[in-house]
Amino acid sequence: MPTLENDRLVFRFPQIEEDARFSIDFQRTLRIPDSDKTYSLPPGLGSFPLRHVEDHPQKLPAPTTARGGVILPIWQAEAMWLNFHNDGPDWGLDFPVAIKVAAGKINAVTGEGWRAGLHRDPQDYLVSPEQPWLDGFAIEKGVIRQFVAMPLGDGYSVEEQLTGDAEWGGLQISVFPLKAEVWQAKRRAWEEEQKRRAERRSMFMEEPIACYSMPAPMGLAAGGRMRQIIHSDPFNIDDWDINAADRVFITLLHAKDWKGTTGEAARNQPPTAKEYSDAGLPWFEYYGKDQTAISGSTKLSGVKSVANLFKQMTGATLPNSQDVETGKPVRLGPGPNAPRPVRSEGSWDR
Amino acid sequence: METDPAFSLRQVATRCGVTPAYLSRVERGEVAPPGEETLIKLAHDLGEDPDVMLAQAGKISADLRSAILARPQLFAELIRAIKTMPDNAVLRIVRDVRDGNW
Repeated sequence: MPTLENDRLVFRFPQIEEDARFSIDFQRTLRIPDSDKTYSLPPGLGSFPLRHVEDHPQKLPAPTTARGGVILPIWQAEAMWLNFHNDGPDWGLDFPVAIKVAAGKINAVTGEGWRAGLHRDPQDYLVSPEQPWLDGFAIEKGVIRQFVAMPLGDGYSVEEQLTGDAEWGGLQISVFPLKAEVWQAKRRAWEEEQKRRAERRSMFMEEPIACYSMPAPMGLAAGGRMRQIIHSDPFNIDDWDINAADRVFITLLHAKDWKGTTGEAARNQPPTAKEYSDAGLPWFEYYGKDQTAISGSTKLSGVKSVANLFKQMTGATLPNSQDVETGKPVRLGPGPNAPRPVRSEGSWDR
Repeated sequence: METDPAFSLRQVATRCGVTPAYLSRVERGEVAPPGEETLIKLAHDLGEDPDVMLAQAGKISADLRSAILARPQLFAELIRAIKTMPDNAVLRIVRDVRDGNW
């Protein structure tokens, strides 16, 4: 079973590898303008708090309690990204996992409804450590639409657009380890390589060591366009241990209801993209390993963005949706030695 | 314990397999607390948490003791790391995220 540790969901598979773990935190971020422009990566602005659903049974609707998992406070039109941490059993030895992510039980990679297990053609999951984060719905090859929270039932969420229902909202995550025999083979190969390196080092002594009331439920809608590759799976589909999967339901609550539910104050709204850019702060571009990207989903590419729907429903322009200058993005990655910067403090959050 | 006849010292002692005289002396602090088995019986009989009852007697349960002794360094490190955390923070650390119906 996953655990909740310091606002991270932590997945361990000790039956396969005692010393490895995979964890996810949910990063606050600024909402990128929802226009035709495709943006670079915005920063992280600190983790959203996560709390056990079962700690607040009297304050949550019965369906939320029945789903279990955790709750997370988010403001209307606030954006988020999923930050993946892969802590392998040793330096340079990652413990690969497959991650299935859905919003309102709509797969964020394919746009299909939630299905157990993993599938190819199209690939309906991400693989860590290849995929360091996920910012939104995969709409085209190399482009996502940012995850933006909107009240469930208002018609904005991807779930409502694709199914016509506002039943689930939130995020659903399932994590799969490799089968034990596949993992052991990978581990053995790594250990042999380490041994060869050590022998080479002992021969030359020069080679450097590589370092490395009831709260309002929210659903995720499609925000602005952002450059982000969904990496293809470098393993075979049968390498994954489907039976060892763990899963969590993350209920998104409107941040205005957070104090009434948990007794804790919610954090202020994050800065706008304009405030961030006006402050001269950087945007980012990820250069991953040389690997193929999977295509975006045609279903998801047909989804209307928040700004479009807002205009359609109200006749007005969604606030803070004007394009901004981002300057030359800072290059990141690949590898765990180049994490995406997180600014947890800022003048906007006092 | 004294107000409800079902929980008179005599009744409780009988149900827990000790003599009323002995239980009375334990209550007055004249003798050392009973062993783990009796303390757990007392806790169940009085509706108290067995771990709390054991702690009041300066003991920890056998299952906890064996868990710590099996991995002493790890648990020593863990307990030292979390000993000053508030209860809610400790609970957040130790509890699994429950899955439900969805």
